[in-house]
Amino acid sequence: MNELEKKIKAKIPGEDTGIEIKRSLCAICSPGCHCGLDCYVKDGQLLKVEGTLEHPYNRGKLCTKGAANRNYIYREDRIRTPLKRVGPRGEGKFEPISWDEAYGIIAEKLAAVKEKYSPHSVAFFSGYCKWYRPILHRFCYTFGSVNFGTDDSTCFKSMDIANSLTTGAPGGPNIPNTNTFLGWNYGGYYSNHLSVGPVRALKERGGKVIIIDVRYSPAAKNFADIFLQIRPGTDGALALGMGKLIIDNGWADMDYIEKHTYGFDEYKELVQNYPLDKVCEITGLNPDDVFEATKLYATNGPACTNFSASALTHRVNGLQTHRAIICLGALTGNFDRPGGNVPSFASYIHKRGGFTTREMEFREEKRPFDQLRIGETRFPTWDEYCDEFQAMDLLRQIEEGRPYPVKAIVGFGMNAKMFPETDKLVKAFDKLDFFVDADMFMTYTAKYADIVLPSCSSLERGEMKAYEGGYLAFTKPAIPPLYESKSDVDMLCELARVMDLDDDLLKAGYEACCDWMIEGNGVTVADLKASDLPVKIQTAKPVVPGAYLEKGCRTPTGKIEFYSKAIAAYDPKYGLNPLPDYVDPLFDENDPETKEKYPFHMIAGIRIPNTIHSRVHEVPWLRSLRPDPLCEINQDDAKNLGINDGDPVEVSSPYGTVRLKAMITAKLQPGVLAMAHGYTEANANVLVGRDHLDPYSGYPGFKSLRCSIRKY
Amino acid sequence: MKHVFTFDPDRCCACSACMIACTDQNDINLKAGEKCFRKTYDTEVAFKEGGIYCAYLSTACMHCEDAPCIAACPVGCISKDADTGFTIYDNTNCVGCKSCAMACPFGAPRYNTEDGKMVKCDGCYIRIKNGMKPACVRACSFGALDCLTEEEYRNSGSDKACNVLIDQANLRKKEALGRWR
Repeated sequence: MNELEKKIKAKIPGEDTGIEIKRSLCAICSPGCHCGLDCYVKDGQLLKVEGTLEHPYNRGKLCTKGAANRNYIYREDRIRTPLKRVGPRGEGKFEPISWDEAYGIIAEKLAAVKEKYSPHSVAFFSGYCKWYRPILHRFCYTFGSVNFGTDDSTCFKSMDIANSLTTGAPGGPNIPNTNTFLGWNYGGYYSNHLSVGPVRALKERGGKVIIIDVRYSPAAKNFADIFLQIRPGTDGALALGMGKLIIDNGWADMDYIEKHTYGFDEYKELVQNYPLDKVCEITGLNPDDVFEATKLYATNGPACTNFSASALTHRVNGLQTHRAIICLGALTGNFDRPGGNVPSFASYIHKRGGFTTREMEFREEKRPFDQLRIGETRFPTWDEYCDEFQAMDLLRQIEEGRPYPVKAIVGFGMNAKMFPETDKLVKAFDKLDFFVDADMFMTYTAKYADIVLPSCSSLERGEMKAYEGGYLAFTKPAIPPLYESKSDVDMLCELARVMDLDDDLLKAGYEACCDWMIEGNGVTVADLKASDLPVKIQTAKPVVPGAYLEKGCRTPTGKIEFYSKAIAAYDPKYGLNPLPDYVDPLFDENDPETKEKYPFHMIAGIRIPNTIHSRVHEVPWLRSLRPDPLCEINQDDAKNLGINDGDPVEVSSPYGTVRLKAMITAKLQPGVLAMAHGYTEANANVLVGRDHLDPYSGYPGFKSLRCSIRKY
Repeated sequence: MKHVFTFDPDRCCACSACMIACTDQNDINLKAGEKCFRKTYDTEVAFKEGGIYCAYLSTACMHCEDAPCIAACPVGCISKDADTGFTIYDNTNCVGCKSCAMACPFGAPRYNTEDGKMVKCDGCYIRIKNGMKPACVRACSFGALDCLTEEEYRNSGSDKACNVLIDQANLRKKEALGRWR
């Protein structure tokens, strides 16, 4: 091999090798992330990826999943053309059709449902990836349907509602200025890799870290000064117990409470019900550990708290648990101060850039008001704080047809495995007149669709993206779209033309829509496209701690509400509590018979390094890291049940059964089982009952449910 | 300039981004049964007195100074790169005898399933010569893996070079955090 051949083999970019680095972004995980990507490209082929060093968000870093982008986009089962189903739903038999034919069928079928029933009988639903949501949302409203729904029905939003009810604003941990990091459910390494650096920096400058988790995680090992291995779902009781300790020991910031909070007296009365011994009985923790952790948090401030998107709210007591944790920041004056939890608001698709776009106005100006959304009136806090239908009621409404029938679904990356009792939902698809789904791959869900549209990946398209620190980007394709695949937004805008929707902006295309949304920020899409990196927006303002409280909270009282006036205003028939009281995470599964038959506490949905929901289970490189779905079980429990590492096991709940392999560990406590979710052959969510839901948000108790396990 | 790999087990979580990057860089054909040159371990070591130590590790060719694989190869495929000091190879003449693998205490050399010839981690020495870090190092988000010049390594005072990693995993007593019941 000569020197040039060696360089080509080593994929060294340069004129001599013909390898060029093109900038894009990784859109495998949630839009809260989306790291900058260096794509090594030669002759339109992607050769490898790396994180972009100059990117203001990820500074060169990529996670395990992101590093596998080449294998992800070149998966063999990429959908190549639009497809029309020719076999029964779910079988996976399709025939290729042209884009024109696909658009024609979709237009005709949706018009028929609209005509026969109403526009609301068409539900629009988005799973991952979420980048096209403003366009789909507006499309749904222009079409005339109130029913726009997304995976927000089970992700992030419950925490967001709890924030809205309590402080009126989301408040991220300000780790660079903190002294103590309360890593409540903090995993970091496998779920938010960019958060690990700041926590390490905190440790290196002498700061303290408390980790509260059901598993002894790498974060607990590498960072924890105090580690509380809590029983699943009992975090709310711990938070209330900590609140009592803070008040009883005089650690509360009474000036702050006086000035900025509402309902302290009622809260103080509530926490009297949570003395340390009772809290430890509920949580399984050692009283000295709880005392020391509380003292450290309350007296070694400023202290900030990790709020994970869904780990705590995937319990039927989740929303109130999160509220109880926020209350600790209010007690100690750590909300909205440097080194505490500092509020900031999203600029565009969940990203907080410090500037405003017209993302919400973009859909609001087309919103219909003439019908209740799916699930509306069932979960009052959801109804008030979310702009979407609560999809946890979709199965019921398809089955029952009440209060009106759902007869068509327009899905983009729809994932039925996200739903409890997945098997029942896909069966209910038979009641639909029409189901179209767009996706990159022939997924479990897409197999049930009548028409499947091939989406391209983030590397094959251009998209607008906001980033922290005042940045906005508009990427350019690193490689051309594979096969006949298209960008999701192009499909929607083209379909708007075919269906002749009354919406000139949508018909004008994605870039025109983006220009409309960012107007007033002094940049245009053309300006953004001129740069290979995110562009600093001149209208962006840095977050100033304290400014939010100064202005008054976005809550009914303008203060941080221990006692939620919004919850107090709901009809008493819902039985909701304005105070963040604790209820058992298995309260609906605690009858003696169920308890005896299903003695284990299952966490159906844990983070492992090589997966993100069901997104990458079929990516060969990532799958090779853990080829089999595994159920983690404590070593003593396994011994008692005669289960060895790698044994085939059957895990059952009152709702269903999955078969997978046992992974024996000491990182979990006895009585607890844990498995990653999203596998088709071992779908955790068939174990979850459709009504095992948080009455406030409608969120399923994915991470707290009863199960049994046996060798088979 | 001679280079060394370093590894800090207190920063690793066995996320395996290093393995994916190695696979991407070296076009490892997993489907054909090939394996990448790096491997991670997520291992629980039980203490005699109770409790566990969770070992998160990442290993590949150690690029030994006195590499036994070099002498073991009957046809001289393996050599030291003069610049980086890494153990590199040219498998044109490889006869697939596996002597190198048997000589290696870490089992680093592997065999291509298609042609039966030896392949191994070459430390991404061509990348280093072009001012880049090895692919696995570049992919480590947590600073567990690094590749330094000998001078940088000496100046860093690091005692965490890869060749002491096995010692650390097995011998270094570490107090488990939290209480184990």
